[in-house]
Amino acid sequence: MFKEFAKGLSITLKHLLPGNSTTVDYPKVKLEMAPRFRGLHRLVPTQTREKCVACYLCPTVCPAKCITVESAENEQGEKYPKVYEIDLLRCIFCGYCVEACPVEAIEMSDAYELANYKREDFYFNKERLLK
Amino acid sequence: MVNLTIDGKEVTVSKTATIYEAAKEAGVHIPVLCYAKKLLPYGACRVCLVEVEQMKGRLIPSCTTPATEGMVVTTMSDEIRKVRKTVLEFLLVNHVVDCPVCDKGGECDLQDLSYDYEVVTNRFQGEKFDLPKDEVNPLIERNMNRCVLCGKCVRVCDEVVGYGSYSFINRGFETKIATAFDRGLNCEFCGQCVSMCPVGAILPRPFKFKARPWQLKEVNSVCGYCGNGCTVTLGTKDNEVQTIRFNDETGVNDGNLCIRGRFGASYVNSDQRLTSPLIRKDGELVEASWEEALEKVTEGLRSAGSDTGIITGARLTNEELFMLKNLAKAVGTGNLDHSGGESYKGVTEGLQETLGLQASTATFPQVENANAILAIRTDFYETHPVFGMVVNQAVKRNGAQLTVIGDKQGKLTRMPHARTLQHKPGLEVNILNAMCRFLLDEGLAKTEGLQGVEELKTALAAYSVDAVAAATGVDAAAIQKTATELATVENAAILLAYGLPYTAHSRELGLAAANLALLTGIAGRSGSGLYLCGEKSNSQGAIDLQILPAAGALGVTGMLKSAGEGKLKALYVTGEDMLVSYPDKGLIEKAIDKTPFVVVQDLFLSETASKADVVLPAASFAEKAGTFTNAERRIQRLNPGITSPGQAKTDFAIFQDLLTALGATASTSEAAAFAELAAVTPGYEMVSLDMVGDQGYVWGGETLAPEVRNLVTVEGGKALDSKFQLVVGSALYHSGTTSLHAKGPMSVVSEPYIEFGREDAAELKVLDGELVKLKAAGGEISAKAKVDRRLPKGVLFAPYHFGSLNLNRIYSGQAAIAVEVSK
Repeated sequence: MFKEFAKGLSITLKHLLPGNSTTVDYPKVKLEMAPRFRGLHRLVPTQTREKCVACYLCPTVCPAKCITVESAENEQGEKYPKVYEIDLLRCIFCGYCVEACPVEAIEMSDAYELANYKREDFYFNKERLLK
Repeated sequence: MVNLTIDGKEVTVSKTATIYEAAKEAGVHIPVLCYAKKLLPYGACRVCLVEVEQMKGRLIPSCTTPATEGMVVTTMSDEIRKVRKTVLEFLLVNHVVDCPVCDKGGECDLQDLSYDYEVVTNRFQGEKFDLPKDEVNPLIERNMNRCVLCGKCVRVCDEVVGYGSYSFINRGFETKIATAFDRGLNCEFCGQCVSMCPVGAILPRPFKFKARPWQLKEVNSVCGYCGNGCTVTLGTKDNEVQTIRFNDETGVNDGNLCIRGRFGASYVNSDQRLTSPLIRKDGELVEASWEEALEKVTEGLRSAGSDTGIITGARLTNEELFMLKNLAKAVGTGNLDHSGGESYKGVTEGLQETLGLQASTATFPQVENANAILAIRTDFYETHPVFGMVVNQAVKRNGAQLTVIGDKQGKLTRMPHARTLQHKPGLEVNILNAMCRFLLDEGLAKTEGLQGVEELKTALAAYSVDAVAAATGVDAAAIQKTATELATVENAAILLAYGLPYTAHSRELGLAAANLALLTGIAGRSGSGLYLCGEKSNSQGAIDLQILPAAGALGVTGMLKSAGEGKLKALYVTGEDMLVSYPDKGLIEKAIDKTPFVVVQDLFLSETASKADVVLPAASFAEKAGTFTNAERRIQRLNPGITSPGQAKTDFAIFQDLLTALGATASTSEAAAFAELAAVTPGYEMVSLDMVGDQGYVWGGETLAPEVRNLVTVEGGKALDSKFQLVVGSALYHSGTTSLHAKGPMSVVSEPYIEFGREDAAELKVLDGELVKLKAAGGEISAKAKVDRRLPKGVLFAPYHFGSLNLNRIYSGQAAIAVEVSK
């Protein structure tokens, strides 16, 4: 029994040695996110407009009902989202919107520092999402 | 009947059924793209292929193959699946697959099938279509890149609408649907093609990019425009009626609609709707609270008492009309009337005197099987377009002989082998009389059981076919032939529409048509019918509920005259813009000016409302529950799809409040009101709301037998002796004055016009779009000219819907107005 105890403690002690720590000194040091991390949404722009064609699949699939889209016709006669808004307070970061998008117009970035002081600041409109 | 087995299920169907229809009966689903219930089998898409035991070796298209005795059908197997998938792959070779931006996405048959059959890759490759879109017209957008060439639009436009806008052009891969000379669409914009298209090739432009199908809430209701009573399914979202959805499961219209029904509902969302009661203070109408407005109205009506006149439009529900009648009783007045008071006399007096009825004798679907049809006035298609489509099917599918008595040409006269008895304006009765006389002379008349045969014979002495032919300008042989047909065929129908622009000879036309219906045996015979169709959605209901002057009391004309002399103390007008739509504007202006207290209850601040002392904001058809009775006596239910804007209330709620304020008892709900009105309305006694299902309920049964059979002598009209005569009527794109607030109809016909025939236009050197003036006894009107080939020489036409035309300055109910044309 003592043998097992010593073995366990040795692992613990090993981690205490310099260079073996997994704790990061946040916010001075920031971790690199995994490529499939689901952080803040981003609307993908093209040269002239947003890539989004306002097909309404993301608000339809969204389980938290946090996406508001209103489509309209632009000067070229194309369908575009007049309004595209995500309510981050409701969002559960499931990534279904990304999965549903037929034109890869929405993606999830690695931004996770989403704290804010005002409720209004959690509503991300089209301009903020395009940044 | 034939028996067959489909997927192991035994099913018995009629001899005319196809395998597809038999499968549907058996509850077996077969996918289709080109099949539609109301169209003839076509077999274009090849998605419905099935296996038939007796026809081994190849797959059989189920939608075109008749079911035969002992057939054993398999609707799904590995091979069928493979073949259907291949068909879909072929369809998708050129298809642009722009589902994300296509408004059909979510209810697209091609999309659904591709999903069902897991068409994720395509083994075939070809060039994608890159055809120009037709976005010229404001209502129907055509994007032929999405077309699957099912031909449904071509067929519905030809078979049902009878317009024939579309056709296939080119061959092979280049085949596409196009209009004449491949130009932009320019038709009657009924949108039947929109409702038929299984993909997103033809879409309603007003609904472009508005919403996805799954976001819409569907509410079944009844169109609020004409007396045809088409059921419409409102697609609502964000408390707005976004679009009208296709639905051929309910009602009598088979999913068919006209421009008004399909594109005309947008007036309910108009930002010009009244949202608050208005009271006149210091000569200005200002917003007020309901309490204040109701108090004022109650006080005004109470002090006016029996000197109150109540005039209503025929677009209120039965329940609301019932409440209005109670309101008249509570106020103590018998001066109650609707729709101009004259236009419906053909039904209330004409049919009453001859048949003892006040309604059409048969239902619309029966007309499809008629062998001979007589339409009095070509405008019948303009006032009741969807019934006109039934006539078209009778003519085209069943070879019915259509005869039109009209002072102009029109859609009906252009139907295949239609016979037009084109007469000088105002002489319809003369021709009907001549037909009666001819039937009596030739012994073709079915005089058995008829009263007044001898009297009629003597009275018709002056209406010999030749004399009438000479006077009216109609071919004598055509009159004889029409009369003979009507009397000898198995099923025949006589159609006549009434409404505000057709006040002339209303009673006389009703009598003459009923005489003819009696002599030919049409009245009361199963399969045949005499149809007198009201212009508004509840015209028949208003007559059923007797929204008519009480004995000794005043009708509309009486009320207006009396009011003009300052004898009425209050006028209560609901759902009617009298100053625009009633004949004789001068009289109405005087009546409104001289009446100390005028209340108008309407959706908009109409011309009449702007002159009122109190204006009450009411609700549209899309906001209320209740029932309408259409022109074939079908009682149908309305369901509210949206809520009223601002403080606007349903007419029902307003009447409830007024009745309570006047100390009378008011029905507590629409359903309670229906039960109460059914108890006291002849024909409705046995009807309960539960019986009013998806197909409505026809009171009196499919064929209404006449109570009496009296022939009544009726004087014919006299032709006007004037070089140019103006006839007034309804335009196809509009109905009453409400449609002027709807974007759809307004985008096609946005301003008043005066229509000229080509000959007259050439003679007067009038060009299309040029401003012309018409001078007549009552004044002068001016509008842009429209040159068409509908009108004979010397006859001009003007639609009555537009207030800006001031047509009723010169129109006071005449059949034709003598005018002088100047530029």
